[in-house]
Parts: sequence; structure tokens; C-alpha cells
Amino acid sequence: MLRASAAAELAGVPTSSLVCEGFLGQAATTAVGLGMPNLAVAPVPGHVDTQAYEVLERNVVEVTLPAVIDNLVSPRPDAVEVADPERTDIVFTGSFEEVNRLYYENGWSDGLPIVPPTIAAVEEFLGFTDLDADHSFGPLLPDNRAATVWSVAVNGVMAGCRPEYLPVLLAIVEGLADPAYGVEHSGNTPGADTLITVNGPIAAQLGFNCEQGVLRDGFQANTSVGRFLRLYLRNVAGFLPWQTDKATYGNTWRVAMAENEPALSKMGWEPQSVDFGFAPGDNAVTISRYTGGGVVTSVFGSTPEEMVDYLADGLAKIGGWEYVFTIGVAGGTYRPLLLLSPVLAETIAKAGWSRADLKRAVWEKARIPAWKFEHYLGPWTNLVPGRRSLEDFVNMRRAPKVYAESADRDRLVPVCTEPEHISIAVTGDPLRTNAYVFAHNGMLGFPVAKKVRLPEGWEAKLSAARAR
Amino acid sequence: MAEYSVVWPRGPKTAKLVELAPRLDSLEGRKVAFLWDYLFRGDEIFPILERELAARYPGVTFVPFSEFGTTHGEGEHEVLANLAHRFTELEVDAVVSGMGC
Repeated sequence: MLRASAAAELAGVPTSSLVCEGFLGQAATTAVGLGMPNLAVAPVPGHVDTQAYEVLERNVVEVTLPAVIDNLVSPRPDAVEVADPERTDIVFTGSFEEVNRLYYENGWSDGLPIVPPTIAAVEEFLGFTDLDADHSFGPLLPDNRAATVWSVAVNGVMAGCRPEYLPVLLAIVEGLADPAYGVEHSGNTPGADTLITVNGPIAAQLGFNCEQGVLRDGFQANTSVGRFLRLYLRNVAGFLPWQTDKATYGNTWRVAMAENEPALSKMGWEPQSVDFGFAPGDNAVTISRYTGGGVVTSVFGSTPEEMVDYLADGLAKIGGWEYVFTIGVAGGTYRPLLLLSPVLAETIAKAGWSRADLKRAVWEKARIPAWKFEHYLGPWTNLVPGRRSLEDFVNMRRAPKVYAESADRDRLVPVCTEPEHISIAVTGDPLRTNAYVFAHNGMLGFPVAKKVRLPEGWEAKLSAARAR
Repeated sequence: MAEYSVVWPRGPKTAKLVELAPRLDSLEGRKVAFLWDYLFRGDEIFPILERELAARYPGVTFVPFSEFGTTHGEGEHEVLANLAHRFTELEVDAVVSGMGC
């Protein structure tokens, strides 16, 4: 919304931005990143969604309206530029405890101890890329800071990564900078978190866990790379709780995940990264933002047909309001994720099913009643205005025909528009019959995958790093 | 005790300070456009603002949010890229943009 105001100001048109009371801090910090710290805001008391119309009307007339008029006709205060340190400037010298206190007090750490980012430590990381330290993958909103190789290395050091993880960290940040991902939405109120998936031989080379406890902390690569992403969002994109990170609840970062490629190879399935255009054996990183997840425990059956109903049930139950990304807010961008333990995937593959076959079968079954789908869009959330029926969306060509196959309110409709929109990854305890499902945040964290670029002399550098 | 000389963890700013558009002398006789992200009751709030602004400035006119499309979600990039052109075409003097909630 503020980005629209900024575009109007750039076009020479004065603006007033309507902001609910609880979001004024976010607006102030976002405006700085837009280069317009003095952008004019008109507050709306409380949160509009809980107010009766009469209360809303009174608030708008008594509080918002005078501010709107003032915003448009009164001169705005001048903006003041604040100088930042240069990248190699030493900002502080002190003990481990003192460094940690400084970083915490300045909002540069997450509250856990960080590894002090000395120039020597950063340079050790930089030995694992052929890119220049000043190379930028692009600006990251809301702070609009350049995602430089140097800043990736600094935050990698802080997160407790090993220097040889740098190529993976760079691929993650390249993904963040991809406009298709939508990093600017990372502070939205549902508080979704990004899951990193690592594919290719690099996962084993760097020691990523892809077996039992894959989503649990306790494995340096998985844990520190996951932490890195959250630190990077904080320090470079600029998402800070109580300011631009408006997660109503939120949670800690997701540890990074790897697919079990030896198991995939045994069953004849290609890695998940192939869905994004990579060849089997390519080193790649996928990032995607998920609002929540849940385990589907004890999937029973010796054939895919016996398993698919339960897997689909898990996928249908994990979603709800997120279906506004299937139809409504950003149609066709809902991309749920299903994790299968190797024993489940092997049983399915043994029957001759491909990953695509499983996606199709799950899509056919992962359905909810039409009335419920419509309630997630309208009456229960008000996220899609107009109270339109699924038939209306089909008639407007904003939904496929499968959503209007009859007028029966109890008819079942799919949770995503295409079978291919369901992602499937094979990981977790190889010999336990559990699966896991993630609900997805649509275009506010759309899946993107990037190649992991290894430096010249990777093998020798890796051997040397392992020996240290 | 070991000491550490540390560097700053943030990236260089890419956005330079941008001067805001000049403010208006009055809204009288001006054309105000509404931009909406199609969230959080803008469809109820903009009509209230329109009614109240018209009562205070009888000569003010309005451009509804439907002229532009949603400023959030699937349409954002295209809508924002076209704003300058649309403002010129519609002779817009001021904008009220919502809803940040």
C-alpha cells in the first residue's frame, strides 16, 4: 500500500496513506526504505476488522479524515539522510559478550549469541565464492539495501555457519532477490516462515541432515543455514519485530532441509529441483514461504491407492485462509508442500507411480466443500471483497471450471488449481511411515530455486575446510 | 580476554532520499483518486471519506479505486507501473491510498 503511495509521489501527486493504528511503526520504517521517510500517513484507530460500521465511520470521520486533509495540503517536514558505515569499517572492538550485547541492542541479532563478524572471519567465507564482495543480487525491500556477497558472508559468520556453506547462502539470497519470490511480504501478519530445501551432491558434502529429525535443530548445516536466512531478513531486508515484521505470532526460523537423494535415486524418482528446471545432480536451493505445517502420522498401506486418501486429507486440512492464493488475492499461487519419508515414497514408486502421478492423485482427493472454500475468502476473513461465489470467479475467468462443476454448496473443490502446484519432497526418517504437510503463503513467498555456484577449486577448498 | 573487532551486518542503502510531491493549497476544485489494496474494508472507508470531503469542499471530485485495480497481490506490479500514466490521463491532483492494516 505504501509502495503505491510512493509511486504516486514519484509521479508528482501528493498522497495520504491510510494505516491502522497497530501498523504505524511498520509504515514509518517502510517509508524510510522507500526513500521517503516523511511519507504522509493518516491513522485509523484500532483494527477495522473488529469494528461495527458505526464505530468505523466515527473513527474515520473524527481521526482519519482530518489527517488525510492535513497530509494533502500542509507542507511535509524535510527528510534527513543518515550515513551508514562502510563495509570494512570496524564498528566496535570488545569481548565476545560486549560484541553480542552491542549487536542485540542495535537489533542486529536474534537474541542468541552470534559469532563476532571480524574481517578475518568474513574473508574466510569469501574464499568460497568467485564473486566480488561488492556483487549485489539486487535490493531487498523494505529497507531497500543491496544484497551483497559481503553482507551474506557477514551474516553467515554471525549465524554460526561454516565458511564452506557460503555458496548455499548466496543461492538463498539470490532467491530472496528474485521478484517472483516476493521478499517484501516477509513481514506480513500471518508470520509465515521460509523453508530452504537443498538438492544435489552439495547437501551431503556439507553434512545436511536429510533423514531422521530433518526439520529439527541439532545439525550444524541445517540449523545455521536456517538461522542465517532469518538474520539476513533482519539485517539486510530490514524485517524487525515490532517494526516491519508484523507477524501476529510468528515462530523461530525453519531449519534448512535436504532431500534424501540416495533414496530418490534408488526408487527412480528425480529430485524436487527438477520441477524448477534443474537436472538431476545439479546443486540447487529452493526457497518458499509456508504459514504452518503438520505431521501426517502412521500412513498405513502397501499400495499408493491405500495411502493417497490420508495424504490428501492432511493437505486439505492444513490450509484454510491460504486458499485466497488459490482464488481471489493472487489466483493460482498456492503451492502446498508434501514431505514423504523414504519408506512411503519407495512404496508408492514401487507400484510404478511417478511423482507427477502422486501429485495428480493427491490433487483429485485434497478437496473441501465449496461453501467452506467461499467462507475462507469472504465471510470468515473478508480478505477477498465482494462476497463472490466460486461460480462468479469461474465466470470471470479467475478460476478454472473445476470450481463450478455444479451448484451444490457441498460439492468438493480442490485446494489448489493444478496438480503440479503440489510440491513433493522425499526426506525424513527413512523407515518411519510419516508424512508432513505445509500450507503455503502464495505470492507472498512464491517458490523459487537457484543454482548453487561453486568456486574454482571447490573440492580442494572443501577438503582444506574439513581438515580445520 | 579475547577481543573482536567487528563489522556492520547490514547492506548498503540503494534508495536515495526522494522529495515528496508538492502539497496542494486546498482540495477545493481538485480531483482526488483512491487507491486500494482490496483489503481491510476500503470499500466501506473510501465512501465515508468521499462523502465527508465533498461536504467540506463542494468542488472536489473523485476517481474511484476501481479505475486502477488492486495495488496488492497479483495486480500490484502492473498497476503501480501504470500509475503515472493513469494520473495524467485522469488529471488526478491527489491520492488517498489504503489500507495498511
